[in-house]
Amino acid sequence: MTILLSARNLTKKYGSLTALNNASLELRAGEVRSLVGANGAGKSTLIKILTGAIDANQGKVLLDGVPLKLGDPTTMLEAGIGCIYQHSNLVPALSVLDNIYLGRQPVLSFSRLDRKKQRAEAEELLLKYSLKLDLDAIVSTLPTVRQKEVEIAKALALNAKVLLMDEPTAWLSHTEVNNLFTTVRNLQASGVGIIYISHMLDELYAICDSVTILRDGNIVEDCAISDLTRQELLEKFIGKTLAQAATKTNQHAQKEHVPEDVILRCENLSKKGEFDDISFDLAKGEILCITGLIGSKRTELMHTIFGSNSLDSGRIFLEGAEYENRSPANAIKHQIGFVPEDRHRDGLMMQANIQDNLLMVSHDKIAKFGIVNQIKVDQRVSKQIKQLNITPADPNKIVSKLSGGNQQKVLIGKWLELHPKVLILDEPTVGVDVGAKSEIYTLIRKLRDQGTAIIVVSSDMEEVMGIADRIMVMCSGKKQGIYNAASISQQKIIAYVGGEAQS
Amino acid sequence: MISSISNTSITAPLSKINISVIALPAALIIMSVIFSILDPVFFSGQNLITILHQSSIVGIMALAMTFVIITGGIDLSVGPVLAIAGVLCAWFLQISDDSVLIAIPATLSICFTIGAISGSFVAFIGLPAIVVTLATMSIVRGAGLLIAGPSLHLIREPESFLFIGSGLIGGIPVPVYIFVVLAAIAIFVQKKTTFGVLVSAVGDNHRATFLSGHNSNKIKIICYGLCALGAAIGGIIQASQVHTAAATYGAGIELDVIAAVVLGGASLMGGSGTIQRTIMGVLMIGIINNGLGILNVQIEMQLIAKGAIIICALLISQLDQRRSK
Repeated sequence: MTILLSARNLTKKYGSLTALNNASLELRAGEVRSLVGANGAGKSTLIKILTGAIDANQGKVLLDGVPLKLGDPTTMLEAGIGCIYQHSNLVPALSVLDNIYLGRQPVLSFSRLDRKKQRAEAEELLLKYSLKLDLDAIVSTLPTVRQKEVEIAKALALNAKVLLMDEPTAWLSHTEVNNLFTTVRNLQASGVGIIYISHMLDELYAICDSVTILRDGNIVEDCAISDLTRQELLEKFIGKTLAQAATKTNQHAQKEHVPEDVILRCENLSKKGEFDDISFDLAKGEILCITGLIGSKRTELMHTIFGSNSLDSGRIFLEGAEYENRSPANAIKHQIGFVPEDRHRDGLMMQANIQDNLLMVSHDKIAKFGIVNQIKVDQRVSKQIKQLNITPADPNKIVSKLSGGNQQKVLIGKWLELHPKVLILDEPTVGVDVGAKSEIYTLIRKLRDQGTAIIVVSSDMEEVMGIADRIMVMCSGKKQGIYNAASISQQKIIAYVGGEAQS
Repeated sequence: MISSISNTSITAPLSKINISVIALPAALIIMSVIFSILDPVFFSGQNLITILHQSSIVGIMALAMTFVIITGGIDLSVGPVLAIAGVLCAWFLQISDDSVLIAIPATLSICFTIGAISGSFVAFIGLPAIVVTLATMSIVRGAGLLIAGPSLHLIREPESFLFIGSGLIGGIPVPVYIFVVLAAIAIFVQKKTTFGVLVSAVGDNHRATFLSGHNSNKIKIICYGLCALGAAIGGIIQASQVHTAAATYGAGIELDVIAAVVLGGASLMGGSGTIQRTIMGVLMIGIINNGLGILNVQIEMQLIAKGAIIICALLISQLDQRRSK
């Protein structure tokens, strides 16, 4: 097949640091190429050059053999290079149709919108790429996977020949990922070239034809993905030691559930429209994974235990005594910690520095009469930065400038400062690179071994099977069951997650 | 990418100077130099004290306003609060037999309460601050006129009250000392107390602050209370300076106060801003007013020039912020 996109000898330097060194990449029509690399490997630099967000110091980009002007987003868009970013770029309050044509609707005289033409064009587009979207639906009411498809349609409406997809599945559940893959395959069949970026190895092997591996700004491998085993792939981009740590996830020693050690017991928790009759208990020094699809109301249940969501009926016991889920403040007083799913919305002060974020739940304790004790603050913060290996190790660094993995570490560190007895982590590794992921797993295990009772909410089966001692499956607000991780297969869990009745 | 960012800032510190950080101090210096060249009187020690003196009321109000703006809010009602503080103080002096020790604390607590009430509407009901304080602005102005009528009320006594606005210590007016002390306290509160950290946290991410176990509503309410307190202190100083109180004082002063805070770089979206930079913003407005006054620029031209300078200053910092994104 013809070569669609060709990037030749791209080099990008920031001061004395070379972010991308002499990188070349080719993409054919109908090819899905994965771009792999740890954070800082030069992936985002390459993507930014391809979208026109930044210029390169050297090298050129050709589309259909025609060289493109670098550093100009409009040129790239008009030439046909579209990008689906990790975070949504849609206007939530507008309809699907309006979003697809946002800012460049066909118009009649006096700037009147040509609704008919717009709709006809959109319908043709959806048909051509086999996308199933309701054009009149308001974007904010759509599930995440549909919103991704709207973004894809938006890019295709611009006649995109090349689509860059940056972690498109980061916020999707298992079945939604499969839906998205169907869409990707349809695009592939109609000759669109796709560059697919993801930290999930499962996905790469499921959807990609070829792989380009970046490490420290250099392209270290460019081959068909079937030529590499998972282990080889991991070793190529994160180095041998980290790769071993990451795969060790799967050889983790499960702990028995000891009923005498139960610290948190939930009895018949119900909330109308959310969850119904959920009971479970959690012991010191164990990891309970709660899994299920988006919409299974796991997050709502966690917010209820933490006190940021109410309860219609049911009782919660903490260390044997009845516990009232009054407010987050009350939960914190009882040393219950909660790392929320959406770290930007619920977790971090993005404009504040690492130090203030790390101490957000505990600074009252190290202040006297409300006055901060700088010496104690410095001690605690530097200890936590070191323990969590947060880079850069600068307490004054603004959190929005950190990578996803480091942001997540700061958020977890904030709750470690509480010395929690119960720690709830909701999707702790979403949007986090493989290296940081394995560090987070190591940390969770270490906390468990120190006796912390841990709940991990996760949609990632690899993760659930890797770290859980016990697994609770939820399906549309109901408990499907609780299983010992050692004695259940991944396939079974997936079946229960999908709502299949237990045999 | 993290390593690349930190590396460049270490190896090339000079090329990475942030224009939005140095724009304001640079503009202050450039303007001072220009005014000094045009009229050397500008740079005399006496005139510098005059600038501080003229800036002190707006300055004190801007210190408190900074906290409100950092929470992502705004308080438009500071003008009427300034006026009603003077009126209340005059009235309390009258009924308490000229006791400053009764009149001032009573005035300050009433004004703090007014602010806290606006703050409650913003915090608990979630109404936009601009609408709530627009309403407060009208209500307080109306209440002031109801109490005092449209006329001026002379305050001749006691000496101790008049000293606040007109007294001198070592040749320097008392309001300057009040401004400096309050500025020091505000910097301390912002940098060294948990309250200071939480004010930024609330403005940055209200929900995350709540999920971190803090009462973000309480923090907002205190900020609006403090803002009204700042306006009340300004009102007491003004009444003492001009020996009169009137319900019509302070019209339009909120514009200078808010302009000073925003010039200092606090974002109206909340989450960012520092007291030190607000002080620079106050000085900037003070220098513009004073310099144009010394040069005998007509008042009409002064207003236009002031607006133009403010727009330019904001433009420079905004352009730079966009580039760094």
